[in-house]
Amino acid sequence: MREGLLPRILPPVGFAGIVLGAWYAVARQLANKELLPPPWSVGVALVDLLGNGDMVEDIVASLGHLGLGYGIGAGVGLGLAVFCARFPAFETAVDPLIEILRPIGAIAWIPFAILIFGIGGKVPVFLIAYGASFPIFVATLAGMRGVDRALLMAGQALGASRRMLVTHVVFPAALPHVLAGARLSLGVAWSAMVAAELTGSDSGLGWRLFWYQEFFRMDRVMAVIVMIGVLGVLADLALRGVRHAMVGWSPEGHDAR
Amino acid sequence: MRADRLAAIASTLVLLALWQAAVWFADAQGRAPAPLGIVAATASHLADGSLRAALGDSFLRVAKGFVIAMAIGLPLGTAMGMVPALARAVAPFLDGLRAIAPIAWIPIAVLWLGVRGDAAVFIVTYAAVLPLALQAFQAVRLIDRRLIQASQALGGGWALTLWAVILPGSIPVIITAMRVAMGFAWGAIVAAELAVGTKIGPGQGSQGIGQMMIETLYVKRDVDTLAMCMLCVGLVSLTIDAGARVLGRKMAPWTH
Amino acid sequence: MDTLSRISLAGVGKTWEGRRGAVEALRGIDLAVGAGEFVSVVGPSGCGKSTLLSLVAGFATPSTGSVRVDGQDVTGPSIERGVMFQDYALFPWRTVAENIAFGPQARGVPRRERRDIAGRLIALVGLDGFEDRYPNELSGGMRQRCALARMLANDPAVWLMDEPLAALDPQTRIVMQDELLRIWGDERAAAQRRSVLFVTHGIDEAVHLADRVVVLARRPGRVRAVIDIDLPRPRAPHRNAPEAARLVAEIWALIRDEAVDAIREET
Repeated sequence: MREGLLPRILPPVGFAGIVLGAWYAVARQLANKELLPPPWSVGVALVDLLGNGDMVEDIVASLGHLGLGYGIGAGVGLGLAVFCARFPAFETAVDPLIEILRPIGAIAWIPFAILIFGIGGKVPVFLIAYGASFPIFVATLAGMRGVDRALLMAGQALGASRRMLVTHVVFPAALPHVLAGARLSLGVAWSAMVAAELTGSDSGLGWRLFWYQEFFRMDRVMAVIVMIGVLGVLADLALRGVRHAMVGWSPEGHDAR
Repeated sequence: MRADRLAAIASTLVLLALWQAAVWFADAQGRAPAPLGIVAATASHLADGSLRAALGDSFLRVAKGFVIAMAIGLPLGTAMGMVPALARAVAPFLDGLRAIAPIAWIPIAVLWLGVRGDAAVFIVTYAAVLPLALQAFQAVRLIDRRLIQASQALGGGWALTLWAVILPGSIPVIITAMRVAMGFAWGAIVAAELAVGTKIGPGQGSQGIGQMMIETLYVKRDVDTLAMCMLCVGLVSLTIDAGARVLGRKMAPWTH
Repeated sequence: MDTLSRISLAGVGKTWEGRRGAVEALRGIDLAVGAGEFVSVVGPSGCGKSTLLSLVAGFATPSTGSVRVDGQDVTGPSIERGVMFQDYALFPWRTVAENIAFGPQARGVPRRERRDIAGRLIALVGLDGFEDRYPNELSGGMRQRCALARMLANDPAVWLMDEPLAALDPQTRIVMQDELLRIWGDERAAAQRRSVLFVTHGIDEAVHLADRVVVLARRPGRVRAVIDIDLPRPRAPHRNAPEAARLVAEIWALIRDEAVDAIREET
């Protein structure tokens, strides 16, 4: 299975080289240098912004929005799902509301959030929480509902109490679904964060995009875009790590990419 | 099942009534949206044709961006599934791009393509092309090897195997991918129009539903119309989803 | 019905109420399993074998008649009645040792003691060295051993087994049949054994393992015949005895026509 390092590394590195080369060639040909800054100047801008602390400030602001919003959203989604699984009548009552809200993506709430909260940090927090709550809600509820009946019967036959069935059978069986939902939620939250900061906030990486565009500093705009990508990849990797550590027993726990 | 239906309808009606009553008793008409206000707003925007025009504009952009995304994403993904070296080269790059929220490209897109709508098309294409390519890649890669071997053993050449085995075998996954990508595309168009609208102010940007929302927010401050727009966004999402499911049943009948 | 029987079913019928109407799975079943007795249940597809087992296990209640274990009506699952499921139903998030320790944990046995119980059973079923594997890292035969050990961890007086060897390849199945007999106490006196109700598709398996074979008819499930198996124990050396072959042929003759019908209806 294990291949040599070179055949694994060479194609992506080669492709990255081609992309950078093409980028450079196009940037060189353009009459208006503002349209596309060459790769190295984006690199310089990135180092520059990290060095003078501006970008660090933006990253801290964005991660603050994300942490707070995602925490609230995931908590609400998880809690609601457990509640719905436990009390079917409650689900019947809230289901229509959820079905109406779910297709209205977080983005469509932006104007409304601006109206309620005004331009500021609350807009991205609200949108992230809203967007993040649905995938984890849906996945958790499906996970708890979809527990293999044979496992419940096995637990009963072995003498498990109702409480033990929930904590030792239903919860662990639902965990892979919960974590898969958490990962979907993170993706939604990430997009919602950038969109909300761009349109309704006065801080964060998304907000910086338009700020630098005002000054036609496209090198800095690109640097922020690169940083958004890097952080997005890191956040996803972190969640995958959590999943690997927590549900290593499940075949789905090992990522089939 | 029928009792469930009834309970759902009853609970919806109760919610709507409570909502309307709350707005009345708080004397908050005009500051908080209410069901009757939304109905009125919908009626007037339907009558003057503005709602249809806005949705039509947005939808046209989604369609343009989506067709471009299909034309790039599906062949790219199929090729990646068939040529492992290509997949190894391109997949990490696509994964990295996926981590960049599509809307982050809006300053660049506006700079390159202008505010009249092509920037939004670019964002839509970007949002849709990544799931399409990556899912098509997965679909082709996960086709049962034995089906391909069976085709070869029966004398199928390279072209027949691609046409009669690999493509139909990947259709169910690709349909699902299209559904997801279409959802992303619709979310992206609203985001892009909102962003463009915020940036350049009312009256001069793209004439889509997002622009309508920004104008409602900053010019008219009409919460009922805003809520109407949001419901329309949701309704279009639902329609896209249902349409894609029907398409899936039509094009891959053996999976049902 | 003799007083020594641990499991006794009298006039048991079961009708499942489904969306597409009622389906009568069992009708008028009389059956007794004595202390230390091994009873196999065979029959064509759709004869209600699994329904019968889940009634005794307490996962379902009979529509008519009574199901008793040790003179008590069965009202629900109990640790007195161990169950081994068709696809084992091992908890995928628990290692072999943790799966085996589930029953003792449910009984409130302290952690140290649970580990001792698990260790002893792991040795008994021959899973040494695999204590810390997860079920999806085990072969079919090892999962089967694990499921058996998990059932035994509560030391139930009655073993209820629903096609426990069906998922194994033929060679492993033969090995596991003899393993099962050894663990049950094939070589010991009947007083030291547990009562077993063993549902299976395999007629040869039923004959090889059981003291009695109950043959069910289908649609609805009824007792067609009860065949005594008088082969000497331990059984392992008698697997290919002419007497065993004769019994298999006799039972097959009882089932064949219905089995053919069952296949025709399913396709």
